[in-house]
Amino acid sequence: MKISIGCDHIVTDVKDYLVNYLREKGHEVIDNGTYDKKRTHYPIFGKKTAEMVVGGKADLGIVLCGTGVGITISAAKVKGVRAALVEDVATARYAREQLNANVLGIGGQVVGIGLIEKIVDAFLETDYKQSAENDRIIAEIDSIMDGKDQLYDEHFFDEFIEKWNNGGYPTE
Amino acid sequence: MKIAIGSDDKGFELKTELKGLIESLGHEVLDETPENDLNFVESAKRVAEAIRDNKADRGIVIDEYGVGSFMVANKYKGIICANVCNEHSAQMTRRHNKSTIVTIGSGIVGKTLAKKICKVFINQKYDGGRHQIRVDMLNKMC
Repeated sequence: MKISIGCDHIVTDVKDYLVNYLREKGHEVIDNGTYDKKRTHYPIFGKKTAEMVVGGKADLGIVLCGTGVGITISAAKVKGVRAALVEDVATARYAREQLNANVLGIGGQVVGIGLIEKIVDAFLETDYKQSAENDRIIAEIDSIMDGKDQLYDEHFFDEFIEKWNNGGYPTE
Repeated sequence: MKIAIGSDDKGFELKTELKGLIESLGHEVLDETPENDLNFVESAKRVAEAIRDNKADRGIVIDEYGVGSFMVANKYKGIICANVCNEHSAQMTRRHNKSTIVTIGSGIVGKTLAKKICKVFINQKYDGGRHQIRVDMLNKMC
């Protein structure tokens, strides 16, 4: 499988561990960063990782930050993404099987590495169980937002990054 | 504070429990789903729209796993919604993400923990500061 992965600076080590874990299992991994521990902003990596999935460059996506919440929300707000923020195996399996979730979100500071492996395994190994009811629910979720114009726009967050670089946001 | 709450059929029982807790904390409850036979798309939409339209300060949505409602609520522009299974995440998502809605899986989180999550989520303030750039980024999306 082709897996798109991304994280913020809080859990870069967990992401790097998963990149190796997935490659050793024979998956092709697109690592969207971040690549070090320098302070950055999770929506940049959540959006990028998710766009690889909806753009067909990857089959599934995995995003990580401290609690998983922030980066998974940024992935969930990408058109065509159904992102599941998960802390247990049963939910990972359900999200794939019933909701055809295409991005998995995990909190690298709230879930241990052993359970993270099991959650990732379940997410990648479970197939969507197609039914008229599931298809209808998924179509409803996908129809709530438009946002097509935001896809693949590399400069989408520039105004905020510029403001940050110019001292427009507090650093504490 | 005014708290909008909603659930699908599988979250109905937990919703009733949480309503009692929220009222006992002195908050007003806006029950967006008095029916006990809705699906999670409908219940999450109702709570997300109540928050979007400023009818309530916070929202709580319950379905069996929490993830379905999370997908739905986050498709709304300006809505920051967290699926929460522990008190730490309930606190941090208020402090850092300025989330206004939590989803809880009634099949995953027990009643005692669900009540603790709600209490922390309602009481915790947003930190502001450097976190605002990320919140601004999320709010531009959808």
